[in-house]
Amino acid sequence: MSSTTGLRITRLSALALAVGLLLPLGGSALAQQPIKIGASLSLTGTYAKLGNNQHRGYQLCAKHVNEKGGALGRKIEFVLYDDRSDPQTGVRLYEKLITQDKVDLVMGPYSSAITEAVANVNERYKMPMVAPMAATTSIFKKGRKFIFMVQSPAEVYLEGLIDVAAKRGLKTVAFVYEDTLFPKATVVAPGGSVDLAKKKGIEVVFVEAYPKGNTDFSAILTKIRAANPDVLGAATYFDDAVAITRQMKELNVNPKMYGVTVGGDLPKFYELLGKNAEFVYGATQWEEVLPYPGSKEFTAAHHKEFPGADFSYHTAGGYAGCQILVEAVKRAGSLDGEKIRSEILKMDFDTVYGGFKVEEDGFQVSHKMVMFQWQGGKKVIVWPENLAEGKIRFPTPPWDKRE
Amino acid sequence: MTTVTGSMLAQVVVSGLLAGGLYAMVALGLALIFGVMRVINIAHGTLLMLGAYTTYWWFAYLGGNPYLSLPAAMGLLFLGGALLQWFLVHRVVDAPELSSLLLTFGISISLVNMAQLAWTSDLRSVEFLTGSYLLGPVAFSKSRLVGFAFALAITVLAFLFLGRTKLGKAIRATAQSREVAMVCGINVGRIHLLTFGVASALAAAGGSLVSVIVAIQPEMGQVWTFKSFLVIVLGGAGNYPGALLGGLLLGLVEQLASLLLTTQVSEAIAYLLLVIVLLVRPTGLLGGRT
Repeated sequence: MSSTTGLRITRLSALALAVGLLLPLGGSALAQQPIKIGASLSLTGTYAKLGNNQHRGYQLCAKHVNEKGGALGRKIEFVLYDDRSDPQTGVRLYEKLITQDKVDLVMGPYSSAITEAVANVNERYKMPMVAPMAATTSIFKKGRKFIFMVQSPAEVYLEGLIDVAAKRGLKTVAFVYEDTLFPKATVVAPGGSVDLAKKKGIEVVFVEAYPKGNTDFSAILTKIRAANPDVLGAATYFDDAVAITRQMKELNVNPKMYGVTVGGDLPKFYELLGKNAEFVYGATQWEEVLPYPGSKEFTAAHHKEFPGADFSYHTAGGYAGCQILVEAVKRAGSLDGEKIRSEILKMDFDTVYGGFKVEEDGFQVSHKMVMFQWQGGKKVIVWPENLAEGKIRFPTPPWDKRE
Repeated sequence: MTTVTGSMLAQVVVSGLLAGGLYAMVALGLALIFGVMRVINIAHGTLLMLGAYTTYWWFAYLGGNPYLSLPAAMGLLFLGGALLQWFLVHRVVDAPELSSLLLTFGISISLVNMAQLAWTSDLRSVEFLTGSYLLGPVAFSKSRLVGFAFALAITVLAFLFLGRTKLGKAIRATAQSREVAMVCGINVGRIHLLTFGVASALAAAGGSLVSVIVAIQPEMGQVWTFKSFLVIVLGGAGNYPGALLGGLLLGLVEQLASLLLTTQVSEAIAYLLLVIVLLVRPTGLLGGRT
């Protein structure tokens, strides 16, 4: 519509003016778009307990990062899907995140098994993946360039148990493990529990795997009872750690030391088992009491943000993994995969989780594991000696001799 | 490898039978649904899961003896099952078996996801009976023993119901031939309602008893559905004593294979047994409808 006098505003110029005014706004709106970080997590399925803890770690990290101004002037936002504790689903989801959702960055899922499966995806798209919940060495020794380890490796999870057993002069050990990547690596991989035991002169009298999802351990525990080991080491997740402990009581299996790996450190472990969880040793990558920078603040912030939620090293690991990625992005000053990768390789960085430093292949070399024992309803760190807060209760009394 | 002694064998036979009793009771429900309505109920394990949660919440809020919740769990799922039949399942009773598979699969997914939304995937357990009774070298897990006792009692009652009562006979008649049953004046629609209800109650009883034995979570039903199908094929589809035999057999095979081989392999052995039975005696060990 044109006016007859004064300014002649044609439709075209009005449109041009409008676009001209809006463009900078649109442009800055684009700049305000959050950085999307994609990941799949085990929110349901056998790893649900731990996946949900990791999830809260990611969420809390995003909140804190955004409170401090985000990264590269933008907020970060997680785009998360549930992989149902299934590796194949995880693969599908990461493909979707990268190709359809077009996320800018990725973070790792829960468990070695799922991380191993999805590592091929981010590698193909040259997107660096900080994998906070994968402790199996082999994942990082396959010539991949874009995967980075945060945890101490699986092989050393039962090192504390074996070390203490040797110091106490125990002679025989039995191992059981869930037949999936991480527990298997913990026990039978080179440098794993079996090798560690042999090196310390402890005889390995029984080793057996059980399928993921198994709930009845009567037969395997019957065999263990017959083998009568001084020490029983179980490379578990959570459900199986609970079930094995319970059935040990039922079948009256009484090793002098009994330790689990994953799951034994969750508060829920004690909640479900009550007094039957006493004396159980557990391996943990992290505990609240350890003197890592920002660890206390992180713990307090978590309990404030998620009152009553389960809390474990999986939460801290998730948080730290995200910390590492954001720090690398800031140092690289860009979202380019290769630049972020080279920053990560240079990092010697302390997170709330402990030390982070990786070798060229992404293998973790700075982080340390600790062992605790459930005593009086509390986890007491008992190994290594320089980090121990208490003495071990040894030997574990037989079930019928406990009050 | 460890040498197998008599007491070890005795232990796993006991464990196997205790597990088998539960398998039998739950599978009986599945057998009923298939026998009477020719419906393949993929949601069977999910119904069991709901029974487990009924007992869990009963125990969480009311405390006391969780076994008292057994009638409540059974009653609730009887009604639930009947409602499912009334609104949904009856539509696939005449349809090809693939339809019932799809429908019950859909029901199962919906119910499992609702449970996950409502109760989260957190493991829950009813801490009531821990430990075991020791008879010489053999340990009888208390919770498994009590579970077995109840399962046995309920199964016996179910058989009495099917064999001695008028309704039970009507159910069996409908299973044998729906047309003739109708001619005899049996209200087939009502029989179907009753059957699905009873079968759901049996599954729920299984869940209720299991909640005291292992920790439960919304996806626990899947493996129970598989095992119930295994049991039915072993015993003969639609053959009720067959379900009993099949259940006990499965329990025994699982435990013996775990002992003599490894636990990892025992799962495979159970399915191997399934394949063998299907090849050698497809109507099941006790015969039945194919």
